[in-house]
Amino acid sequence: MTAVSIASLAVGVSACGGGGGGGGPTAKITGTSLTVYSSLPEQGASGDQAKAIENGVKLAVKDRGGKVGKYTVTYKPLDDSLASTGAADEGKGAQNARTAVQDSSAIGYVGEYNSGISKVTIPILNKAGITQISPANTYVGLTSTAPGHEPGEPDKYYPTGKRTYARVVPKDTIQAAALVTAAKQDGCSSIHVFNSKTTYSAGLARNIGLVAPKVPMKIEGNDAYDPKAANYRSLAANVKAPCVIQTGEIEQNGVQLMKDVATADKGVKLYGADGICLNASADPTKGIPTTLAPQFKCTIATLDPKTFGPTGKKFFKDFSTEYHQPHPDPYAIYGFESASLLLDSIQKAAASGTLTRQKVTDAVFSTKDRKSVLGTYSIDKNGDTTLTDYGLYKIVGKTLTFDRVIKSNPSLVGSG
Amino acid sequence: MAALTGMRDTLADFRRRRWSGLAIAAAVFAIAWFLPYLYGPLSSTLDTAIYAVAYIIFALGLNIVVGFAGLLDLGYVAFYAIGAYSIGWFGSDWFTEAINGGKSGIHVGVSGQAAHLLGIHLNFILIVIAAMILTSIAGAIIGLPTLRLRGDYIAIVTLAFGEIAGTVALNGDAIHIGKFTLTAGQTAISPVDQPNLFTQFDNALNLRPYYWLGLVMIAIVLVINFSLRDSRLGRAWIAIREDEVAAASMGVPLVRTKLLAYAMGAALGGSAGAFLGTYTQAINSTQFQFSFSIFVLAMIILGGLGSIWGTVVGAIALSVINQQLIPTTFHTAPHDLFGLNFTASEISFGIFGFLLVLMMIARPQGLVPERRRKLELTEGLASDESLYEVSA
Amino acid sequence: MEAASITGKPLAATTPVAAVRAFLGRYGLIILLAAGPVYFAIHDLLQPSHSLVKLGNVLVAGISNGAIWALVAVGYTLVYGIIELINFAHGDLFMIGSFVGYGMFGTLGLTLTTGTLGLVGGLVVTLIVCMLVCASINVMIERVGYRPLRNAPKLAPLITAVGFSFILQNVGELWLGGSQHGVTDLIRGSTHVINLGGVTIDRQDILAVGLTVPLVLVMTTFISQSRLGKAMRATAQDPEAARLMGINVDTTISLTFLIGGLLAGAGGLIYALYQTNIWFFQGFRAGLIAFTAAVMGGIGNVRGAVLGGFIIGIIQQLSDNRIHEVLGKNFGSEWTNVVVFAYLILIMVFRPQGLIGEETREAG
Repeated sequence: MTAVSIASLAVGVSACGGGGGGGGPTAKITGTSLTVYSSLPEQGASGDQAKAIENGVKLAVKDRGGKVGKYTVTYKPLDDSLASTGAADEGKGAQNARTAVQDSSAIGYVGEYNSGISKVTIPILNKAGITQISPANTYVGLTSTAPGHEPGEPDKYYPTGKRTYARVVPKDTIQAAALVTAAKQDGCSSIHVFNSKTTYSAGLARNIGLVAPKVPMKIEGNDAYDPKAANYRSLAANVKAPCVIQTGEIEQNGVQLMKDVATADKGVKLYGADGICLNASADPTKGIPTTLAPQFKCTIATLDPKTFGPTGKKFFKDFSTEYHQPHPDPYAIYGFESASLLLDSIQKAAASGTLTRQKVTDAVFSTKDRKSVLGTYSIDKNGDTTLTDYGLYKIVGKTLTFDRVIKSNPSLVGSG
Repeated sequence: MAALTGMRDTLADFRRRRWSGLAIAAAVFAIAWFLPYLYGPLSSTLDTAIYAVAYIIFALGLNIVVGFAGLLDLGYVAFYAIGAYSIGWFGSDWFTEAINGGKSGIHVGVSGQAAHLLGIHLNFILIVIAAMILTSIAGAIIGLPTLRLRGDYIAIVTLAFGEIAGTVALNGDAIHIGKFTLTAGQTAISPVDQPNLFTQFDNALNLRPYYWLGLVMIAIVLVINFSLRDSRLGRAWIAIREDEVAAASMGVPLVRTKLLAYAMGAALGGSAGAFLGTYTQAINSTQFQFSFSIFVLAMIILGGLGSIWGTVVGAIALSVINQQLIPTTFHTAPHDLFGLNFTASEISFGIFGFLLVLMMIARPQGLVPERRRKLELTEGLASDESLYEVSA
Repeated sequence: MEAASITGKPLAATTPVAAVRAFLGRYGLIILLAAGPVYFAIHDLLQPSHSLVKLGNVLVAGISNGAIWALVAVGYTLVYGIIELINFAHGDLFMIGSFVGYGMFGTLGLTLTTGTLGLVGGLVVTLIVCMLVCASINVMIERVGYRPLRNAPKLAPLITAVGFSFILQNVGELWLGGSQHGVTDLIRGSTHVINLGGVTIDRQDILAVGLTVPLVLVMTTFISQSRLGKAMRATAQDPEAARLMGINVDTTISLTFLIGGLLAGAGGLIYALYQTNIWFFQGFRAGLIAFTAAVMGGIGNVRGAVLGGFIIGIIQQLSDNRIHEVLGKNFGSEWTNVVVFAYLILIMVFRPQGLIGEETREAG
């Protein structure tokens, strides 16, 4: 039986060599309908951010009347999370990517939210030549060999050798520099860093460790915490530094860590990264208690809404009319910009006659001095944004409020 | 060795006496083989089928321990973890700098991207063998402390081992072996190699080879299961399941018999773990939860403890429920039918819990009960009238 | 049906090897348990500061933590004592207790600005509600899930229990979502109340121990003095004989689940106030830890379960705070579960009858 099976396996395989769903990178797109997919963790603690990103994407499509040139654009949001764990899952992410690959009208893919899931979806989409734009990934190794990457990265994620993945948020090296710079500006003499062991959080913590000596800033400790623990009193008891940088996400019990640290040392300054810089963190029923709010600041790549140009102002106005939210989650902005960049690139690619996936990718990678809701930026050869400014936010009356811009010194960021 | 000879004998016996059963099995297998042609090479149905195939192997492995030998193992997730990490260690660039200082890698029978990456890259068959060796050792180690324990105490000890395995996977990034860490913690080891057997597998182009590979593995595992069940060893397992003291007094070596059950069940779990690991392309500690152990246990209970075909049926049923019905088909049913404010995915745990309770109260012998098991259960139930009413 | 394969009492020591084995069997667990605190005490005294303050604080935290485990462990031990079932759903029942407590804070409008009198009154009401809700759920689970399986093989109710555990977890998940949920620190738990030369006792410690001890005392008195309590003990020893003596076994078993549920509810509320952080998954680990406590004390033995709870609490805190001193700085509190489960396995293997020994019918 076994021998027979193996033989017919060989037959089966050769009978269906090639395969692949809907066209490769250079195949001409027939018809006039295009599909943009998104893959985000709709369930669990990141659900609010996923919804915000999806709303941003929807708004970007709606802004253009659902059309780019002669093409009609359909937006299909997919879920990459499991209800049972309340977190994103690699297997579901991979199947989402394959759903896009099978669809010959698929032109772009907004995702993932988690850097760890992008590690799995980038190679799949790369082979099909579908442009992927992440609204949230900051892990260095996905795009570049900047400090903090692992051996083999990022080339191992791009089996075709050609880049198809870009992101609108700056990578960790920049956020790490921003966090340490903010702490320095606030007069911290030393810092203690915590991470939740996820690709994102551990990567950012590693970058903080790399950038701190250059600032210079003394690091008292750089600890990983167990996101499943009930409390972190024993970890908090070991904090000697006057300032703590927490890279753990809100869905990885990040708030509890901050509460315990602040309980152990009443005067400690708390800095959070964009995994915890959310409206939910500012809401005392879910996030940081009112008593701790004055000690907490966090970084996110969105700058002061007041300084936004006409694009940004229009976005805020549209968003509040559409979704009745005066303060969109920062991720709504990222979602909106990811989709806008994608749609504008499709427009550029379609302008030159036949539309192919390859042309869309090329258009994204040739983005220069784009005036956007996030500021003016270009996309470099790795697919990274050239934005380097971070916004520092604080909690004022249950909402995240812009505090100041943190400009990262180029010497700290290094080149990728 | 005696067990092996016994296996060979019974295999021959099995072929002679059950040619009709074999014919049916072959027909089912042939249908299953050509099933993927009804769907696109990347369709989500095929994705579901591949998970189902992996779970069938897991369930058949656990069935040896729980169904045959009657040792309630609640820590089966440990073998999924070890199997999956085997492919993470021996089929990815995880050990890049360990090999020749990161200048070149070890490549055995791999092609495609795997051949270009550094680190250790073994052919999938070798990785499965490595996974089976590692898991059978782990299985025996987990089995050792339970040898003298009663049924429900065994459950607790194995559960504790399962939790320890999960915690070690999560915190393994702090365990240094030389310059290297054991696991990547919550960061996935990714991408891992895709198998190269007759063809280079590619989960971005065609899922069918994964499915077929899984089918071949199931065929082998089924042969192992049937021949073990009918072997001297299989009869020893059933003897200790039914009455340990009597079995021991009849000369059944308890220690060896139990440890072999643990080790063999674990080895099959390890092979399925390696398969699922290469298919999901990411080895992440968050995948190894207690609910996995229960999920697989639920499959063999649903099918009928100890029943091989029942286990296959149970595994297919629960995989389809888990991968297809809950997240897709009935995803919005709670809202559409009852106006409830949640999706079916959000109550998947509850659905499985409910199934377990329902199964135990209404049909504890499973969908396709094993004859001997059925006898045991009905004997046990005969003295309780209230149950007769429910199960009638 | 199961074979009682553990031969129980060690045989008389005839050879030196047997003597060592007998000694280890009798005192090994105690030595193993005492090793941690003794090691750290000696270690601290040899330090230049000669101070036991650090260890003292860990012990205080361990005892208050352990009080919560004790409340949950009693539920395990009572149920195991009477129907020999590891009630997997018990930990999740405890989680429901936390969630009900959290919900009650909202319903009653308890916040940090609530006055002392209102707060105490509100917490008492919350405690009663938590206990009653958990007790009713527990009795209901027994009625629906375990009673029909009274004569089935042991595996059947065990799996039903796992099923109920999943159902309760899912209820929690739907209630407050998939990730941890903060609880307002109503009692300002970390306020120091007593300071003994550096060893501080906080409000949360006083709450945990101050609620647990009276609850357990009332309950043990009930079991040892009242008619129903005596019926419980009789049923635990021999259900068939108890039935012949006119004891309603079903009612008695329901009562056991009722008491277990009451204590789990109280434990849940204390946990919510103590940790200020609740999660639908908290019950799974809490259940395993409490079960370890019950086994350590000797399953079926109520005093043993309470003792086991305190011991496990201390082991956890020692591991949380000081494991890195033994294993190096890479190893922190995230390894505590491994330590606890390792203890569980060691006890199961070497002293399944626990510290105090068991009072169930299937001895040893």
